[in-house]
Amino acid sequence: MLKVIHLNKTYGQTKRSLKDVNFTAQPGEVTAIIGPSGAGKTTILRSINQLIRDDSGQILLDDQDIRQSNKAGLRKIRHHIGMIFQNYNLISPLTALENVLHGRLGAKSTLAGVFGMYSAAEKSEALRLLQEVGLGDYAYQRCDQLSGGQQQRVGIARALMQHPKMILCDEPIASLDPKSTKIVMDILRQLAQEKQLIILINLHQIDIALDYADHIVGINSGEIVFEGPSTDVNDQVLQQIYRQAEQPEQAVTANEH
Amino acid sequence: MNTKFKSPQQFFRQRRLRLGLVFAALLIIYLVSVIVVNFQTLTSLAQVPAGLVWLFKNFVPTQQSISYLGPILYQLWRTLIVAVSSTICASLIGLILAILGAKTTSPTPALRWIIRFSASLLRNIPVVAWAMILLFSFKQSDFTGFLALFFMTLGYLTRAFTETIEDLDREKLQALQAVGANYFQCVFCGVLPEVASTLTSWVLYMIENNLRDATLVGILTGTGVGFLFNHYFKQFRYDAAGLIVLLIAVLVILLELTSTQIRRAIA
Repeated sequence: MLKVIHLNKTYGQTKRSLKDVNFTAQPGEVTAIIGPSGAGKTTILRSINQLIRDDSGQILLDDQDIRQSNKAGLRKIRHHIGMIFQNYNLISPLTALENVLHGRLGAKSTLAGVFGMYSAAEKSEALRLLQEVGLGDYAYQRCDQLSGGQQQRVGIARALMQHPKMILCDEPIASLDPKSTKIVMDILRQLAQEKQLIILINLHQIDIALDYADHIVGINSGEIVFEGPSTDVNDQVLQQIYRQAEQPEQAVTANEH
Repeated sequence: MNTKFKSPQQFFRQRRLRLGLVFAALLIIYLVSVIVVNFQTLTSLAQVPAGLVWLFKNFVPTQQSISYLGPILYQLWRTLIVAVSSTICASLIGLILAILGAKTTSPTPALRWIIRFSASLLRNIPVVAWAMILLFSFKQSDFTGFLALFFMTLGYLTRAFTETIEDLDREKLQALQAVGANYFQCVFCGVLPEVASTLTSWVLYMIENNLRDATLVGILTGTGVGFLFNHYFKQFRYDAAGLIVLLIAVLVILLELTSTQIRRAIA
């Protein structure tokens, strides 16, 4: 179980990005974080694996505080947290298979990683994972020759190669067409159910969040304004989450004059 | 630049005006320099055909020049070796410096500034100046030529490599960090595969460039095909000198064709 408690983050001197953020995400469930752009969705997600250093609070993954770990400890924790991105972030000149094998880097010695020394078992597991996401035929293709949806599935296979407890998904479908969106979201839901993973997704498409997520966290200007099962989300809740969404832009134009 | 225009006509009028001013400025600069160096445009132009005729009469290789082919090819080969080896050595060290000096991969900002500054220093000393400075310590030898090209190339490639690495999307490296990869793993599994083909292009370009420069450096260091050119030239054996120029051009073109093929193969 992932428990985020009293998480705070301030950018620069004044701009508070996260204000006392609390929520939980259960294994076996898809948890979606929704909210207007700039509300702090990405900051939350990247605090969880400490790509962004937050200011204070606790992030408990199975009762272990991620924030308390040292460099080596963080590396070990990160190894068990997969992450996929809006822009896939694969190493594009390498093949799909090589990118999936990168999922093992966190468990390897520096030299073994640097020289790409993977065991036969690791190689066949990587291939099997690619087959699982439906890309068995593309294992030896360079990633920049794959479509967006295919690249995202390679990203998922890379995350699975980490034997993760949790997969963080930062706007995973924002650059995908409806058909690829469905494929990717179906895979993610299936992973939550079959492998009992914690799937935490940032989304800006409300309909998809309501379709796929079991649990919804609504955020507005860095504050959690709703947390509950997706069945509890109604128009009133949505209004609360997306309220005053235009205000920041008005503020910007006001400053110019 | 938030000037408000009253009409599109006014906007385009202003555009044309600016373009006109640029041309006028260029013309003035030309005229001023003509006056300063006392350059007579028309007379100079008139001399060009006669000059070309003289050049062709004297420099076109004859049947007799073929006898020089042996020594020329041997020196051309030596020059090529110096150009290639200096570029390869400079690119290996340049790569290490670029990784340490690029914003995305540098361990500390202090190191970044030191590397930037020294690379810029190396690069901004012309290769001819390098050769003349190094002549004092290393005398007239292939090694002096090698070092001169090496230092200049090191400066160039460090800069080019640094910029290539900095162009890399930082998120790709973050993705590897998120997997739990450490610094060296990020560099070797992420940065190097991403930049490899661009860096190879730069190295090939520098080899072409250094072959031309090596000829020039050879005149100063008394080695290679540059020396041979100077030697024949001073003995008024213009046909042999012309043959050298021709062969250098052929070699450079061959080199360019090969590197285009290599670039296409790895792109």
